Amino acid sequence: MGDLNETKKKRGIGNLGSPKMPFDYFDREYGTVPRDTQRAPFQWVSEVAYKNVHRIVSRGYDTTELMEEGYGVVDVLFVDYQSRIPLIEEEQMLNYVMILALEDGLSPPAAMSRIVARTKTFLTQAAAASILAFGHAYGAYSAFGNRLERYLKKADAQKLSLAAAAELLVKESAGEYESLGVSNLMLKDPAAKRMIARAEKLGVAGRYIAFMKEIVGAAQKQSPEEVDIDMLGATGATMMDLGFSAEATWAILAVTRALATGAHYIEEIERNPYMRMGEALTPEEDYDGPADRPVPPLEDRAKAAKPGVCRSVDEWAKAREERKKLVGSGHAIVEEIEDPSKKSGIEKVGKL
Amino acid sequence: MDRQPLFKRKTAISYKTEEKTVMRGYNLSDLAEEGYSFCDALFVLYQGRIPTDAEEKMLKYEMGVFLEHSMSPSAVAAIGVTAGRPNLPCAIAAAVSTFGGVHGPGAAHGYMLDKYLERAQREGKTPEEMAKILVDEYMDAGKPVMGMGQPQHIDSDPRAEPIHAKQEELGLQGVYLRFQRALEAHFHERRKREGRSHVGVNVVGSGNTALMEIGFSPMAGWCLGSVCRGWSCAAHALFNMKKGRAWGASRNEPMVQMIDLSMIKYVGPEDRVVPKQEERQEYARKQKEEGEYKKWAI
Repeated sequence: MGDLNETKKKRGIGNLGSPKMPFDYFDREYGTVPRDTQRAPFQWVSEVAYKNVHRIVSRGYDTTELMEEGYGVVDVLFVDYQSRIPLIEEEQMLNYVMILALEDGLSPPAAMSRIVARTKTFLTQAAAASILAFGHAYGAYSAFGNRLERYLKKADAQKLSLAAAAELLVKESAGEYESLGVSNLMLKDPAAKRMIARAEKLGVAGRYIAFMKEIVGAAQKQSPEEVDIDMLGATGATMMDLGFSAEATWAILAVTRALATGAHYIEEIERNPYMRMGEALTPEEDYDGPADRPVPPLEDRAKAAKPGVCRSVDEWAKAREERKKLVGSGHAIVEEIEDPSKKSGIEKVGKL
Repeated sequence: MDRQPLFKRKTAISYKTEEKTVMRGYNLSDLAEEGYSFCDALFVLYQGRIPTDAEEKMLKYEMGVFLEHSMSPSAVAAIGVTAGRPNLPCAIAAAVSTFGGVHGPGAAHGYMLDKYLERAQREGKTPEEMAKILVDEYMDAGKPVMGMGQPQHIDSDPRAEPIHAKQEELGLQGVYLRFQRALEAHFHERRKREGRSHVGVNVVGSGNTALMEIGFSPMAGWCLGSVCRGWSCAAHALFNMKKGRAWGASRNEPMVQMIDLSMIKYVGPEDRVVPKQEERQEYARKQKEEGEYKKWAI
């Protein structure tokens, strides 16, 4: 491909010949990278399961044999996520939790499923969309569980009582009420407290439920309004006492809910017509953006345009504050997205 | 706090107040307290009824055996999505979304059975007679018979026949199993007659038969099967997120990674010069006239 590079160099391509480039663009290789024979070829590495022509094996157990021995779908969740057969009481408790997690009325997952359904899709697309609705507020099992873990570790390291750790957790979690597990959502509905009582009755309640109770006590002391354990707190703590990680809990309960959003998809199609592009109107009275204005002629662009580039930090800071006022621009939102890549790596797998 | 409905709909599935969540008339908390299982709750949700003990066992078996399938399109999707380290639900959603017309086409199999059973009733034929018609019509048209064959389990799907056997053991043989069994018999007989290899029933063929036998619609059956796979795909995603390498392309790993550059085999047009804007119109016109691009258009 030397000739091609030479041709391109002679023709010149935009800024690619600029001396500012840290490389000679016209000396770069063409063609794909040859197969790497120095390392083991790629394989799907898994600790979870394998299959061959004849069987499917999860954590060492043949899944057909599991069913033939009388285990069921809920048991397989323990096998897949924890690599163990659960106690009967644990299996009963997970059934209990999943029943409560199955249906939640017309909440975000059901709404997502129904909205997608109206555009005429496969059921699976709608169910998948409902899973995407499990964010860090609705179904905040990851945020909730990891916080519990963090403060329990802190309690161990600093030799704090559960009550003291709970007090600290509530104090330091101000502003993150969505994932606390304590709120005013279940003041009249006993379901969350009944779940905790059931876990205790079955003998599966452990350190997480004990800690959750302390958190409820601490929140009740610190909150100006009446609060109590909610479904997030009850299911999250119970799942963790059943041995599921915060992320496993998140996954299991999101999928559990998706099994019901399929029914919402079906009902939506049965009761309502499909919706075409351009069909749905947005009433003007719901609009509070800039008033209607004429589009400037293209030849007046230079006059009408407002430059976005800020040449100094002060100018930038001022512009940023101004931009925050435009709802929907995204300037008012600050999120931290972690890069966990340094923590990962299956270091010892696949050596030749 | 604003607890107004997010979405206004008439629904026969559930309602939720400050006091309780009620699904098809049953308070969910009461259902759990009485000791019903999650599978019982799925019957309530999709069929508005408490199932018999045998029916509950059948669903527990079917979902349990379907849940984990190691590396299939759904798990691959979940693992692929985790490479960028998004939130976990994205990986699960991708996995569930892979269930279409080929991977676990539960509803399609169900609709096929219903269509031919309706025809049997209309034409006064037995399930066996109609199953033969189904197989012949599909095979004469060169179409795959739904529920038969699995690309990995070429020596019969390890889950499929045991599901049939469990259905029989539980005394749940009805018109669907009778029809499916007849379909399989005619299918095997015809392939043998034509000198073709044996292709066994797959988990959709047997599992969906069982689900429909115990009262689930094709659509509900599809949901139960494909969504429950989301659980295992989430486990695969989680394993990769917690123990695998992000991006999946590191050259520092001892094993070539999923999207290592050397995994690319390019078979498209050769490297070529990008036309200058002043050459563009003439270049594009010529390219269009010559039509060579059509070979590549998808």
